Amino acid sequence: MPYMVTAVIKPFKLEEVKVALRGVGVLGLTVSEVQGYGRQGGKSETFRGAEYTIEFVPKVRIDVLVQSGDVDKVIDVIASAARTGKIGDGKVWAFDLDRVMRIRTGEHGDDAV
Amino acid sequence: MPPASRPGIATRLKRLRQRETRRMIAVIVGGKMIGVASILGAMRVVTLFVDMPASAQTVSHRAADLISPVNTIWTLVTAFLVFFMQAGFMALEAGFARSRETVNVLIECVIDTCLCGLLFWAFGFAFMFGEGNGLIGHQYFLLHGAPATYGSTGVAFLAFFLFQFAFADTCSTITSGAMVGRTGFRGDLLYSIGVSGFLYPIFGHWVWGPGGWLGNMSPNLLNSFTHGAVFRDFAGSTVVHTVGGFIALAGAIVLGPRLGRKFKRDGGGPLPPHDLTIAAIGGVILWFGWYGFNPGSTLSAMDFEGIGRVAANTTLAACAGGLVAMFWVYPRSKKWDLGMAVNGFLGGLVAITCPCYWVSPAGAVLIGGIAGVVVPLGVDLIEWFRVDDPVGAVTVHGIAGIWGTLSLGLFATGQFGIPTPDGVDTSTTVTGLLYGGGIDQLKAQLVGSLTCVVVISAAAFGLMHAVKLTRTLRVSRDGELEGLDLHEHGTPPYHVEFGQGMTYSTPAGLPSPRVREPVDVHETSEDVPV
Repeated sequence: MPYMVTAVIKPFKLEEVKVALRGVGVLGLTVSEVQGYGRQGGKSETFRGAEYTIEFVPKVRIDVLVQSGDVDKVIDVIASAARTGKIGDGKVWAFDLDRVMRIRTGEHGDDAV
Repeated sequence: MPPASRPGIATRLKRLRQRETRRMIAVIVGGKMIGVASILGAMRVVTLFVDMPASAQTVSHRAADLISPVNTIWTLVTAFLVFFMQAGFMALEAGFARSRETVNVLIECVIDTCLCGLLFWAFGFAFMFGEGNGLIGHQYFLLHGAPATYGSTGVAFLAFFLFQFAFADTCSTITSGAMVGRTGFRGDLLYSIGVSGFLYPIFGHWVWGPGGWLGNMSPNLLNSFTHGAVFRDFAGSTVVHTVGGFIALAGAIVLGPRLGRKFKRDGGGPLPPHDLTIAAIGGVILWFGWYGFNPGSTLSAMDFEGIGRVAANTTLAACAGGLVAMFWVYPRSKKWDLGMAVNGFLGGLVAITCPCYWVSPAGAVLIGGIAGVVVPLGVDLIEWFRVDDPVGAVTVHGIAGIWGTLSLGLFATGQFGIPTPDGVDTSTTVTGLLYGGGIDQLKAQLVGSLTCVVVISAAAFGLMHAVKLTRTLRVSRDGELEGLDLHEHGTPPYHVEFGQGMTYSTPAGLPSPRVREPVDVHETSEDVPV
């Protein structure tokens, strides 16, 4: 059964994560620019001299489809590539998928990954 | 008997002997002295500041004379056009940058302009256009003792100052283009002072200043080497563009590349621009501004043939440069490259800046077309040396500037002399190699361009290393990864439309905002007269 691994990371870490994933044979991924906040609760900035809080911090979200045997490895690879050790490094999680089909060929399940 | 509260003379004398009393008297008297001195000083400084250029009233006598007013209007109009090139630079550099450093690029250009204006007023103009020796001028500091018109130009002195300020500003902004994305703002201010206050005006004096040694080929050895041909740079291919381009090169080398920038030799390539719309518009705004840069450099509208020729040559060189550069890079990718087309026409404009007055339209097409080849080759060369130049400033301004300067020695037709306030002086004409003028002019151009590259590179390396020693030249690794906008300026250039709350906190020292209690309409409505 294929899994979806999703990670929300610091934007400038995307390149390193991409290279690391390629290194372990992940052939495709989907990236989107997202905003959000976690325990950090936004970020303090100034505009025209007045301090304000950016409530939603810009992040990059990565979605990777992997075969069931690769889930732990991919999570580890993403986490170690995206880690800076400072607040706001983000999260990575995985969940299993009921149905996956490659549109061009009609393959199902792990074959479609 | 005196009231108890009033001390007698004896008590007062006794107090005088106490240390505190004497100290207080000293403070009061000393304070008054300082106050008087500072007022006198302020009066002196203020008169220094408000001092108007001498003989301002003589202008009114010239109402019947149309030459100076018309030439002054021409100079001012073109100065405004040159000033508008700042908008072009801002758009071009911001567009070619990544979005995370857009605010930094914009504020850099804005503050550079402000800084350059004051520096040029205080001493830059004096270094460049004051009387002095062949190396530096020292007259008109703070615009003191300025006559009604500048030199033999017949143009109002302050109009001439404004025109030259716009040029100086252009030069200092070129520099920042190659240093986008990693320069700390404090370091930026420091090197900008060096560029607009010293490097540009002092080198400018050598070529354009009264008695400048390159403009007159004054050492006898040089003069005999070129057989009397002097270094000529009509509107600044060398003075503005090669100077700016090579300071930019020194800056980019001392800074090092942006984090994550891999070069073509190492299997990488340029980091992608974030907004090509604004970059291309910026390029065209620069082209528009060039109609002030080149035709304005006659400082004379009376030379009407000259300004027409210069404007047409400027256009033709830009057209040829853009076309050739685009076709030159097409075989590589089989794609029509916008970035290269823009840099190509800019290269053509930079190249025609020096020879624009002395060449024919056909010559301008050739000069611009060759610049269209020089620019992509130069970009490859800079890339091969692993220098990270995000907008291509080194190539477009530095290298195309060298080509333009040399091209005068090849393409000058020999028909044109120099513009004068009331027309044109053809007693000395400029003839290049291809028009039977021999290689003398080419040699003079070579001397000027080579001097610029060597001297400016050396001085700029010194300047950039000096700024680097203060540890302000490059931002921290974290700051660069986060992006200069947030790290240095506290705001992203583009806020998302929805859900991006900007929750302002109360500034320190101000009372917290009073929140009005919501009024219940139903309760109070009976009391309100209808």
